[in-house]
Amino acid sequence: MRRIATLLALLFGMALAQEVHLMWSGAITGPTSDAGKYYAQGIEDYCKYANQEGLTGGLRIVCETRDDQYNNANTQRNFEQALERGDPAFLGYSTGGTLQLKPLIQEVGMTFIPASYHIGNIDPPNSDYLFLPIASYSEQVIALLEYIAKQEPGAKVALAVHPSPFGRAPVPDAKKAAAQLGIQIVEVQEMTKGLDYTATLKRFANEGVEYIVYQNVAGPVATMVKDAKRLGLTIKHAGAHYAGGPDLLRLAGDAAEGFIWVTSYYMPDEDVPAAAFVRKLGKRFKRPADTLESVHYPSGMLAAAIAIEAIKRAHAAGKPVTGDPGRAAVYQQMLGLDFDPGLAVGPVTYSKEDHVGVDKLRVLQARGGRFVPITKPFQSKLFRKVHYGK
Amino acid sequence: MSYLLQLLVSGLVVGSIYALAALGFVLIYKSSRVINFAHGQFIAVGAFLVYALVVYLGANVGLALAAALALTAGLGFLVEKLFLRPLVGQPIISVIMVTIGLASLIDGLVHLTPLGGGNFSLPRFLPEGGIAFLGVSVSYPQVLAVVLTLVFLLAFGWFFQRSTLGAAMRAVADDQMAAMSLGVSVEHVFALAWAAAGITAAAAGFIVGTISGINLQGLVAIGLKVFPVVILGGLDSIPGAVVGGVIIGVLENLATGYLDPLIPGGGTGEVFPFLVLLLVLWFKPHGLFGTEEIERV
Repeated sequence: MRRIATLLALLFGMALAQEVHLMWSGAITGPTSDAGKYYAQGIEDYCKYANQEGLTGGLRIVCETRDDQYNNANTQRNFEQALERGDPAFLGYSTGGTLQLKPLIQEVGMTFIPASYHIGNIDPPNSDYLFLPIASYSEQVIALLEYIAKQEPGAKVALAVHPSPFGRAPVPDAKKAAAQLGIQIVEVQEMTKGLDYTATLKRFANEGVEYIVYQNVAGPVATMVKDAKRLGLTIKHAGAHYAGGPDLLRLAGDAAEGFIWVTSYYMPDEDVPAAAFVRKLGKRFKRPADTLESVHYPSGMLAAAIAIEAIKRAHAAGKPVTGDPGRAAVYQQMLGLDFDPGLAVGPVTYSKEDHVGVDKLRVLQARGGRFVPITKPFQSKLFRKVHYGK
Repeated sequence: MSYLLQLLVSGLVVGSIYALAALGFVLIYKSSRVINFAHGQFIAVGAFLVYALVVYLGANVGLALAAALALTAGLGFLVEKLFLRPLVGQPIISVIMVTIGLASLIDGLVHLTPLGGGNFSLPRFLPEGGIAFLGVSVSYPQVLAVVLTLVFLLAFGWFFQRSTLGAAMRAVADDQMAAMSLGVSVEHVFALAWAAAGITAAAAGFIVGTISGINLQGLVAIGLKVFPVVILGGLDSIPGAVVGGVIIGVLENLATGYLDPLIPGGGTGEVFPFLVLLLVLWFKPHGLFGTEEIERV
């Protein structure tokens, strides 16, 4: 009887709770859907969890994940629909879509949290309302260069980047950082998905390259490391967030052994509360093994957690959380957000000047078919100096 | 010298995969003049079928490949019966739109399976390493790619030259009306061409999946690579598909090896083959081996 009463009270409460919509637009199909699919699942599951566990401050957050097929026009249409509906914040995805929407985001004043960690998203102009969940690609690559400089002072490095703004994002900062670290960037090679990278690898070997640092997606990186192994090259491989992880292990197998990777997320098989939480949520919402193994699943959770926390705090402050005033209230909360949802290696902290949530990173290495951390969480020493000059 | 040789050999290997992928495209165009924009999706379906049979049903790789070839042939046959046959005699734009729609449909259906948005790789079935000679290295999956391409070329060569069905297909390709008047079932030939295209697409998907992993977008992208290959070789020429594939593969490698260091950011391997393609089409608008169609009015 008591259970029925509790259930009825819960249902009654839910019926009375104010609904707030939160939309994500990203690639569930099309290019990069190998990341987007899991990112969307992370958002959906965290949202359900937050509602069920009462982490929404009495609101009912209705999360909606929409497939934009990595098409900027679709992203814009979804963003405009969210705006029209009165959503207080928006979860984005691609670099192209985010960069293209910047002027509109600025004009309407909507908090926007992309899955793209391109530093240009939060660089002026039109960057007031954009917030990165974790450290930028530029900081990730510089952190790798710092690690490499410690291991092999004066190392010769080649950057192998995706032929897009996503890939090119860290190149200028990486060049400046390399100069200060005494590392020689021998070449910057743009690489698409191919069947054979022998020519590129042989050229790198002839140039004496010791490390290849990737700002790319896992597919081409996997083929590259497999080709390097076949050619018997001793070049070491390192990559930023989207270049490595469990996807790379799945595609490259043994050839990925030794790959150095930088990210702000924990590995799903780590014995830490964050990983246990992700596993718990995955099981609770009956996600398959590949979702639980994906680093993009907790990434989506983190984006949802940030937006929900800001909405909750705005509501707790007695502010409206929908429409024009709702957008303004949530934005004000974002500027002072400081909390630890326990999904990454550091807390989420934002301020008017700092639009990066989790500032810390870890370097991991593929060993025995899994990525294991080889550093404690740290912040790049050089990034702020080379990018902001301070 | 070994550097140049390595680039040429790697180009040859990649080119043979392009040729294998292009073969099915040419077979369909040659017999029915249909440009199949869903060819990349056929390649993906072939790779996913092999993966599913091996991983979910525990089949042997060889057996899974044979089953995937048969199933993709069936898919081609079915697609022709259901979608293409009602369009016989309709404007070419309608047929093109149907194949584009078909590509979206197959994409969507694959995304409904657990394999849709992920990265997968086949369990290792070939020994590690590869063959090395004169300072050149070729992996076993790459050797397999060349062997499979040769096997399919020889098989199709024999089929078209020696078998009755092959002769019927050639007759339809030359002149549909004349073939019909001689009792050849054009509908049957069309369906057969789609089935054969399914077989070669599955073989290409299997090879690409073995070399660079199984991912829907990556596999579909190989289907797009087919276009420069067949335009260079000639849309309706099987030897043209092979020569076109090898030329594109070798040019990609040579450009990456020698031109990339001269261009900031590199990436010339993606562009250079198209420049050569433009140059060739200037002199040979129907491709290197394509049929010149002269209309007299």
